[in-house]
Amino acid sequence: MLEQLGNGLLLGVIIALGSVALSLLYGVTRIVNFAHGEIIAFGAIMALFFSSSPDSSLLYLDRFSPLGINFLTSVILSILLCGVFGGLLELCLFKPLRKNNFGNIAVLVVTIGLSIFLRHVYLLFASAKPTSYILELQRREDYFGVQLTPRNVQVLIIGFAVMVLVGIFLTYTRTGKAMRAVRDSSDLASISGINSDYIILVTWIFSSMLAGFTGIIQGVINNVRWNMGFLILLLIFAGTVLGGIGTSFGAMFGGFIIGILVQLSVGLEFMDGHTEAKNAIALALMIIILLVRPQGIFGNKDRIS
Amino acid sequence: MKKYIIAFFLLAISFMYIFLSNETGGARVFVNLMTFAGIYGLAAIGINVHFGWTGLLNFGHAAFMGIGAYTTVLLIPHSLGREGVVISSGLPLPIAILVGIVAAALLGLLLGLPTLRLRGDYLAIVTIAAAEIFRLLVRDFENLTGGVYGIIQFSDSLQNSRPDFITRFSESYDISPAQFWVGVLTWISIIVILLILSRLKKSPWGRALRAVREDEDAVRALGKNAVLLKLQSFMLGAAIGGLSGIFLVFNYGTVQASTFVPVLTFYVWAALILGGVGSLGGPALGAVIFWVIIASTDSISRFLFESPDGQQLAGVRFVIVGLLIMFFMIFRPSGILGKKEELLLDVK
Repeated sequence: MLEQLGNGLLLGVIIALGSVALSLLYGVTRIVNFAHGEIIAFGAIMALFFSSSPDSSLLYLDRFSPLGINFLTSVILSILLCGVFGGLLELCLFKPLRKNNFGNIAVLVVTIGLSIFLRHVYLLFASAKPTSYILELQRREDYFGVQLTPRNVQVLIIGFAVMVLVGIFLTYTRTGKAMRAVRDSSDLASISGINSDYIILVTWIFSSMLAGFTGIIQGVINNVRWNMGFLILLLIFAGTVLGGIGTSFGAMFGGFIIGILVQLSVGLEFMDGHTEAKNAIALALMIIILLVRPQGIFGNKDRIS
Repeated sequence: MKKYIIAFFLLAISFMYIFLSNETGGARVFVNLMTFAGIYGLAAIGINVHFGWTGLLNFGHAAFMGIGAYTTVLLIPHSLGREGVVISSGLPLPIAILVGIVAAALLGLLLGLPTLRLRGDYLAIVTIAAAEIFRLLVRDFENLTGGVYGIIQFSDSLQNSRPDFITRFSESYDISPAQFWVGVLTWISIIVILLILSRLKKSPWGRALRAVREDEDAVRALGKNAVLLKLQSFMLGAAIGGLSGIFLVFNYGTVQASTFVPVLTFYVWAALILGGVGSLGGPALGAVIFWVIIASTDSISRFLFESPDGQQLAGVRFVIVGLLIMFFMIFRPSGILGKKEELLLDVK
């Protein structure tokens, strides 16, 4: 079972980062964003597009060829692009809906439509087969009994660092405090002079950049696929529900637990030969959590019904 | 009245399109399309009971359709899995179908119990997760479900009951008799179910459901058990979904893990939103128009790509599905036949 712990930590970081972004957006805007997974995939696919060598036959449409720039630069570029993407989504789609008094349920259906649309645009334009970034192959080494490649260790460290930075941002900066204020009560926040439209825009940009970063990490650890967003989104939901929807630190914790549990469950005896079912375990856990403690571990009880 | 005229013209244009765009075999294409439309329309009627009547967000309809289909098919004579193990004994088909429908309703109970007390968006998350769990389990437990190899040779139970005049009619118009029979049964079921639902909608129970959609607290204040009402509605819609799943696999003649993918649900949602959430006949009408749109997307694919492969065809289809869901939800949320005042747009 322990040999799966390394994979569990990696998946945990991916889900935790994705959960924070989803949960923050939900807290501030009350939108359950089903298109979150597609923003994750957008980051990963853009990084692939920027970094792959120009002569690789990567894209369906031959009109574009990959740019072949340095990997680190591509990562930064794609994260910025994700921010722009999220900001545009808010300005062109979700802000008008909010101003026209669309209810949460109608907006939820719109995000579902958006996710189907985006996912299949990726299928048409991006790689249909799982593709990896051009990074050298590395051998797994032993770190305190956990098997990881050196790059995976770097990814883990960077992932943790980003989570700490997100925590500091939310707790100590002016914008972060304003986000939490809007999340707790948007009316009270606007009375105190917080421009909630601006905060919501910032939240969209911030959450999309985090999502893009999540996607790139996922791409580095596994590979890039057009439908990678949908697969991870369900696990992110599980993590968010476990930690408490609308909480940031709860979502991080819940996401991490889900990631580790999913991978550790591969080692269970009755799971032998049922590799696909490991995701089912996480989702079943989510349903059980909803049954016994619907607000999640760190959630607030009055948010749930 | 105006919307019925619009609906009539849309249907007329759709049918004309089918026959004009296919010089030969127009009847065949028509029957194929109408059979699929009927099956998706039936499924959409199930979601309409959930969303249109009660305001429940069910994004896991594929699971209800799947559990109904698998239960029924496994109970009748079939051939299973990679080796094609033939199981020649089984229950009579009507009983198997009934058990399949009950199984779908029970899955509705199982999913509804933990989530219907919570806010609406939790149900959306849980149902979408349930559909994925269902798919993963079907895929992984190959010795029960046949996994990716699936189940075949179960159609005879249904096709043996095909009357002679259906067969003769099919032969004279060069259409597949098996598919025609499935299509006829599907549309008969739609009519019967719509008749039952129209009675239910006017009954005190139906009014209570709509009251739950509008204002749950008010329903509670009147002494009704809102959670129980939601649970009943959820099970009813799930059962209708189960029946549509059964017709779907009989139409294909096979069933495997990839039949009930989560995206199937979104096809059904698109048909529902197109036809009109909350209206009685809207889902069925929406499904017909939806399938005509889907059929015509293939020419868009041929415009975009020189010789589109299956992946590109599917990609373009789903791009259109996503756009349809978004645009109708934003600009005409009541669809073709729905009533604006019956919509829960400003529910928070």
